[in-house]
Amino acid sequence: MIFAAPWVLLALTALPLLWWLLRITPPAPRSEVFPAIRLLLGLAAVEETPARTPWWLLALRMAAAGLIIVGLARPILDAGAGLAGSGPLLLVVDDGWASAADWGPRMQAADGVLDRAERAGRRVALLATAADASGDAPAASVVMPVAEARARLAALRPKPWPVDRALAAAALRRWGERGSAVYLADGLTDGAGWDGFAQALRAVGPVVELRDAVAPARLLLPPKAEADRLVVRLAQVPRAVADRAAVLAQSGDGRSLARVELQFAPGQGVAEAALKLPPELRNRLTRLVLAGPASAGGVALLDERWRRRPVGLLAGDETVADIPLSGPLYYIKRALAPYAELREGSLTQLLSRQLSVLVLADRVVAAGPEQDAIEKWVEQGGLLLRFAGPRLAEHPDGLLPVTLLGGDRQLGGAMSWSKPAELAPFAAESPFAGLAVPAEVKVHQQVLARPDAQLAGHTWARLSDGTPLVTEAVRGAGRIVLFHVTANADWSDLPLSGLFVQMLRRMVDLSVGVSGAEDASGVKLAPVETLDGFGQPGAPPPVAGALTAAELARALPSPRHPPGLYGPESGRRVLNLATHLGVPVAAAEIGGARQERLGAAAPERALAPWLIAAALALLAVDLLVSLRLRGLFRASIAAGMVLMLGMGGAQAALNPDTNPALVTRLAYLVTGDARLDGISKAGLEGLSEQVNQRTNAVLAAPAPVVPGEDDLSFYPLIYWPISADQPAQSGAAVAALNDYMAHGGIIVIDTRNGGSGEGFAAGADAALPRIAAGLAIPPLAPLTPQHVLAHSFYLLQDFPGRYTGATVWVQRDQDRSNDSVSPVIIGGHDWAAAWAVDADGRNPYATIPGGARQRVIAYRFGVNLVMYALTGNYKGDQVHVPAILERLGQ
Amino acid sequence: MTATARRAEALGARLPPLLVAAERVAATVWQGVHGRRRVGQGDSFWQYRPFVAGDSAARVDWRRSARSDRLFLRETEWEAAQTVGLWRDGSASMRWRSRAASGEKVERAEVLLLALASLLLRGGERVRLVAPGGRSVSGRVGLERLAEGLEGLAGEELPGAVGLPRFARVVLIGDFLGPLDEIRDCVGAMAGVPVSGHVLQVLDPAEALLPYRGRVRFHGTEREAATVVPRVEGVRAAYAARLAEQQAGLAAISAAAGWGFAVHRTDHPPEAALLGLYAALAPEAGRR
Repeated sequence: MIFAAPWVLLALTALPLLWWLLRITPPAPRSEVFPAIRLLLGLAAVEETPARTPWWLLALRMAAAGLIIVGLARPILDAGAGLAGSGPLLLVVDDGWASAADWGPRMQAADGVLDRAERAGRRVALLATAADASGDAPAASVVMPVAEARARLAALRPKPWPVDRALAAAALRRWGERGSAVYLADGLTDGAGWDGFAQALRAVGPVVELRDAVAPARLLLPPKAEADRLVVRLAQVPRAVADRAAVLAQSGDGRSLARVELQFAPGQGVAEAALKLPPELRNRLTRLVLAGPASAGGVALLDERWRRRPVGLLAGDETVADIPLSGPLYYIKRALAPYAELREGSLTQLLSRQLSVLVLADRVVAAGPEQDAIEKWVEQGGLLLRFAGPRLAEHPDGLLPVTLLGGDRQLGGAMSWSKPAELAPFAAESPFAGLAVPAEVKVHQQVLARPDAQLAGHTWARLSDGTPLVTEAVRGAGRIVLFHVTANADWSDLPLSGLFVQMLRRMVDLSVGVSGAEDASGVKLAPVETLDGFGQPGAPPPVAGALTAAELARALPSPRHPPGLYGPESGRRVLNLATHLGVPVAAAEIGGARQERLGAAAPERALAPWLIAAALALLAVDLLVSLRLRGLFRASIAAGMVLMLGMGGAQAALNPDTNPALVTRLAYLVTGDARLDGISKAGLEGLSEQVNQRTNAVLAAPAPVVPGEDDLSFYPLIYWPISADQPAQSGAAVAALNDYMAHGGIIVIDTRNGGSGEGFAAGADAALPRIAAGLAIPPLAPLTPQHVLAHSFYLLQDFPGRYTGATVWVQRDQDRSNDSVSPVIIGGHDWAAAWAVDADGRNPYATIPGGARQRVIAYRFGVNLVMYALTGNYKGDQVHVPAILERLGQ
Repeated sequence: MTATARRAEALGARLPPLLVAAERVAATVWQGVHGRRRVGQGDSFWQYRPFVAGDSAARVDWRRSARSDRLFLRETEWEAAQTVGLWRDGSASMRWRSRAASGEKVERAEVLLLALASLLLRGGERVRLVAPGGRSVSGRVGLERLAEGLEGLAGEELPGAVGLPRFARVVLIGDFLGPLDEIRDCVGAMAGVPVSGHVLQVLDPAEALLPYRGRVRFHGTEREAATVVPRVEGVRAAYAARLAEQQAGLAAISAAAGWGFAVHRTDHPPEAALLGLYAALAPEAGRR
């Protein structure tokens, strides 16, 4: 502990003097009114020794005085060591992406440095090593007082690009003053120029380096897309111990769709883990985020390149293409539909949109514009996948990977001695490598390639006799692949096997993402949304500029091109920080610099405020004691204060959780059937949540009620599901329910067997008269869309629950005494089941006949019901408003 | 108008408990002191006695005498009422109570005064307040009128002898902490009418005992200068001596005028003081 103003402690020597002064000064007299004062007037002479201030009061006051003196001397606990050197202090701060993860502790450490500089009376200059947001190269600020530097430091934010060592070194060399430096390091070399930077830093003067032993920064590398999964890669400075991390896959609205764990082995710099998602979920991914402290390095944005590839399908004979089990496209569609987006149409239609794979099943490409169009598309990166067939065997065209021999070859036919051929295992260099070859796959017929020297190099799959089954050829950026059999089971068993699915998926995986085809165009892509240093998306900074797709692919993040989303909505491209950054490399400690660890020392704590506060508390006690001694502090006042403090506690007794009078809540009648009561509870919970979301009404959790035992008058609505084996209500319960209905309550009776749900709750209709015997149910009429209930919040035409289609019954006659509100609503739509929401927020009961629309309308009916219960015929009265206004006008 | 009405209302609100309290106190005393059963001026029959020479013929009760050979005179009970003047000190020093006392001194003084008046009125005496313009009252209703008059009685200074009939009795209730000379003048003026009477000093227990401790600044109630006593414990004995001296002076003044003197503390029950007053006012009854 040190004192920032130690000379104030000299005042402690004055304490004995204070003691003496307090001791000889008599305490202030108490004030008393006394009628017989005339008798006292002359008696002062009889006085003995005057009353003294009690010793404990003296001690109290001395303690307060001492605390104030010590507090004014500004003691500081855990003060850091002094700063070496003299003259101005240069605070060098790494503010690239790598510093974002522990930005808070860094700023705390920098504040501590400024505290120390302030105590030493030194002036400070600030140098941030990354280019600032306006694109200016790093430069040292002017030398300024600490208070000003503090404001500058507070304005500093981590940048979403790396620090620039070379320019920072240049700035260090330009800094003319000589003093000392404190370097707040992120622990990474951050590209070239580290040595020059370290040298320039040493040249400033004595250096204190504040850094972690191992740089904590982690960099989420762009994931590798594979057919059915994303391979997530995370890089960090290799550490001596095993480590783990988690990456969240998020959709565009920020929800996490998946979480994947990564394990770092000791000394390993990059960890990989596969993220497997169903295609429809994978299509919704927009970013991967490293769980933990926010940082631009922990965010990888995804664009179209990581999405699935559209596949165009074209058959030789369109009329038979889709015939089940024999059509040429039948098997391809079933194999690819779960994994890829399939498109069909004419060739021009298919090629007019971006396409990754074009499948031609026994389709002969006519020479001329058709062939030219396909050829051009392939050369730009398309994957043309062809299947042989009778037509192709007759008319080989120009878009084939190998030259075909005329005609086809039959194996194992009636006129042949040979047996149907099996598949040979796939070669290691083939894209099909690793796929198991089932023995039952036989090839009866195929087209044959003309044997030549290059044929083996173009072959991906062979039959057991060595003839090629799948051949390929590269054309420009794209590729042509030929299956030497048909896409149906005419020529081989291959389309019937699981191998076919796997082979097609490998093929699709080979193709490039659709947006890659645009790289060659010169259209500039403007920044749309860019990340800040913490990886939070925001509007692009003013200096951010547009760049072409080709430039984007090469661009290193910088102030002009911050990482983020670029281009129009239809063809959005991302610029990721990590694309060209590579694995982070640990920087060596700066030679000759004094090393301090970030966060190792406790932050400095100033004790002065606490001491002064303690002194004030003591003085307050002294005040009370003095008042007491002078007779001005009465016990009654103290009692009053205690009473006022106690009032707070008294209010806690009114607990809205247990007292139904304090909050509005729906209620359901306890039937005794645990499952039924559970549905009622879940249903009313779901409905209350909807009402809270969509209306101004605030409903608490629903309450179970037993009529005759609980007071029903607090609940606007009671839901009562009927089951066949429910016991009849007792006399007291019936009386309570009748009283409830007579005084404005609404009972919703649900037989749970209406309309589409007929027969679901057998016997409920028969049970209803037995159970509800004695209830004063008024004459009923069907609920129509003209009824107030149909427009008390939403305008409703029907009133579905889990089921729909049955009639809902309400009171027939208008009862003015009860505000024309129907005291009972009887239906069979099992509304509670439609409203029910389980613990995970899902609806556990499917609607019948089904559809999200039915559930929405069911919720709307529920909201209307609650509004009807809460506002009565208010909406019904509103139709008279124009007439009332007109009358008022007269 | 409203202010007067409000005050009257406040007075009325205070009146019933005071009256009740006074009645209650009086009822307990009534059984101990006997009534005045002797011949005198009055309306009610007392006895017949034989005619003796010298009696006026007009006093012969002819109806009684006709039943025998002798003449009888009809004598009535003596009902010549005594006028008793009552006064209580209403100054600021009386409107004070210490923490040990249950009420202000003036409350106790008024209770005693009205209780005494109740007793006297029930005994048929005439009671009035010693104040300019005070009117004598009698009968049960007189108590309420007296109580009303009492509210209007400021009583900030010692009373004069104005309007007191000769040979009336006077009861002065107050704390009598002022200078003895003023009290002597007052009592002397009354005794010269002549009026005999009784002085009751009502003291708060704090005034009697001076229970304070330590350094205390005392303020008076009637514009006296404040005084600081460094150690109240140290002057307690001296104060007790001063108080005893004051009481001795009061007793001497009373004795010189042939009056009685008594001291009452507000933490003591009022019945004792009332009994003392009653006994002091009715010596003949006791002697009968």
